Amino acid sequence: MSLRDAPRLETIERWMQAVVMHPEGAAAGVAARPARRLLLQAAAKLENVVLPSKSLTSLERLNIYAYMYYARLLEILTNEYPTTRQVLGDKVFERACRRFIERNPSKHRTLNLLSEKFPSFLARSLPPGNRRSLAVDVARIERAMEDVFDAPRADPLAAAEFAAIAADEWHRVRLRVNPALVPLKLRFPANDYMNVARAGASPRMPRPRATFAIVYRRDFKVFRRDQAPGQFKLLTALARGKTLAQAVRSSVSGRGNADRLAATLGAWFHEWAAAGIFCGIERAGSGRRGR
Amino acid sequence: MTQASLPNRWNLPDLGLGVGLRTQHFGHITERWPAMDWFEILSENFIDTEGRPLYFLDQIAERYPIVMHGVCLSVGSTDPVDFKFLDKLAALAKRVKAVWLGDHICWTGVAGLNGHDLYPVPYTEEGLRHMVSRVRTIQDYLERPLVLENPSTYLTFASSSMPEEEFIARLAVEADCALLLDVNNVYVTCRNHDLDPVAYLDAMPYEHVVQVHLAGHTDNGTHCIDTHDGRVIEEVWKLYARVHQKTGGRATLLEWDANVPKFSVLQQEVGKASRFRNGARLARPVAA
Repeated sequence: MSLRDAPRLETIERWMQAVVMHPEGAAAGVAARPARRLLLQAAAKLENVVLPSKSLTSLERLNIYAYMYYARLLEILTNEYPTTRQVLGDKVFERACRRFIERNPSKHRTLNLLSEKFPSFLARSLPPGNRRSLAVDVARIERAMEDVFDAPRADPLAAAEFAAIAADEWHRVRLRVNPALVPLKLRFPANDYMNVARAGASPRMPRPRATFAIVYRRDFKVFRRDQAPGQFKLLTALARGKTLAQAVRSSVSGRGNADRLAATLGAWFHEWAAAGIFCGIERAGSGRRGR
Repeated sequence: MTQASLPNRWNLPDLGLGVGLRTQHFGHITERWPAMDWFEILSENFIDTEGRPLYFLDQIAERYPIVMHGVCLSVGSTDPVDFKFLDKLAALAKRVKAVWLGDHICWTGVAGLNGHDLYPVPYTEEGLRHMVSRVRTIQDYLERPLVLENPSTYLTFASSSMPEEEFIARLAVEADCALLLDVNNVYVTCRNHDLDPVAYLDAMPYEHVVQVHLAGHTDNGTHCIDTHDGRVIEEVWKLYARVHQKTGGRATLLEWDANVPKFSVLQQEVGKASRFRNGARLARPVAA
């Protein structure tokens, strides 16, 4: 090849990327329009662009990279979504992953965010039905586990700090929620399903039932647990920045007598304190900010 | 066998024998503080996260020297340099007091995408000029030399006008960057391209070499793949001996990324390099 005929570096890189990222492999990639538009000479005679070795053809050499591209990203999705895979079965899951990788190629230097759109992709691309809904629920939990794993650090509030909030302060106190927390409203009891599946069993397809779960990190370990509907509503109201009084009013007021409500709230806050769900107290108007 | 030490351009230290820091060993390392001269981290695994890996890394970095080795800097890419990513690398380097940081002589993506693989560039004058310019820009920004590794390659572009070893040697000299000489990659690349690994090694500018990699690979008969999933083969140890003879000692690291064994196996495998290094033994870390 003469210097004048040699493709520019940028052209070679764009061509090779188009070829190795083609979902049907390097041969299809070389023949496809994006690669042909860049290097027509490769489609005519691949050896003009990639040399064969003694034991491999030019196409076989390109296929090493094409195979590794999908294999590497499939491995990551498989590791991140083991229970989603169990819900869908190996074949459907792998097909979905391949389509996802094809339509959402990585734009990040780290792999943490590769699958951030995978749950919504499943919701859009799988055939409608209960299995899709359960798979999407499970995928949202599994994605949340990745997100809280990497989330910023924050020291949790101790139970004593909650106890120090006087009742007459509720109208001006806001609780800062741990950044390593994701609340999830689900269409199935997906967290229960995951508990059984991750214990090594094959859970039955559950009936649809609205459930509420939180995924959070404590001491660098990721946890997930279900929440009662009122508990979830209160927590999400607090996470949106409502004062304690506003959050309680909007989520649990009018339920039973005052003693029972106080006992319920006490139990919820005790659970959240133990889980490290809150990491700071803000007192409006006082200029005081806890941590 | 050991010769007088050939200093590198930057007087960067011979850190001794190290291994790649992998999540499987976090617990063992922070409970036992085992003998190991230094650790190399995969930079991207500790960027954009404040989770468990960084928690362990902070502790480990207090007791062992840390070197940062990345896979996504993409110095050969024709996309613009990603200065935000460089800021993240610099922040991590400061946090762990990285002795040096580097990546590979390759590109990983173009047009805003990332293939998360080490793709070869055509070894042309244009490719060299491009990479020299990029490396200089990155080094100026980071205010430290980049330590760049020869990748394992599986194809040759017809437009290449010089052999890989010449491209790398010229890159090191013209960009004034440091080299991480991966002797397993030399073996794999030479097998895949029917080249002479000894001639390849002899073409290296050793005053630019500051680090050496050792690893296992998979031999498929028709070609070899750099899988980092086993012990170092004898032919690669022979190449290592030659590098040691040329340099008199460079920081040496064992990579083992798949089928990761117990930490004691890594100690034993990297410890084999001590036979070329006057029998020097792995050191216990300093107390934090």
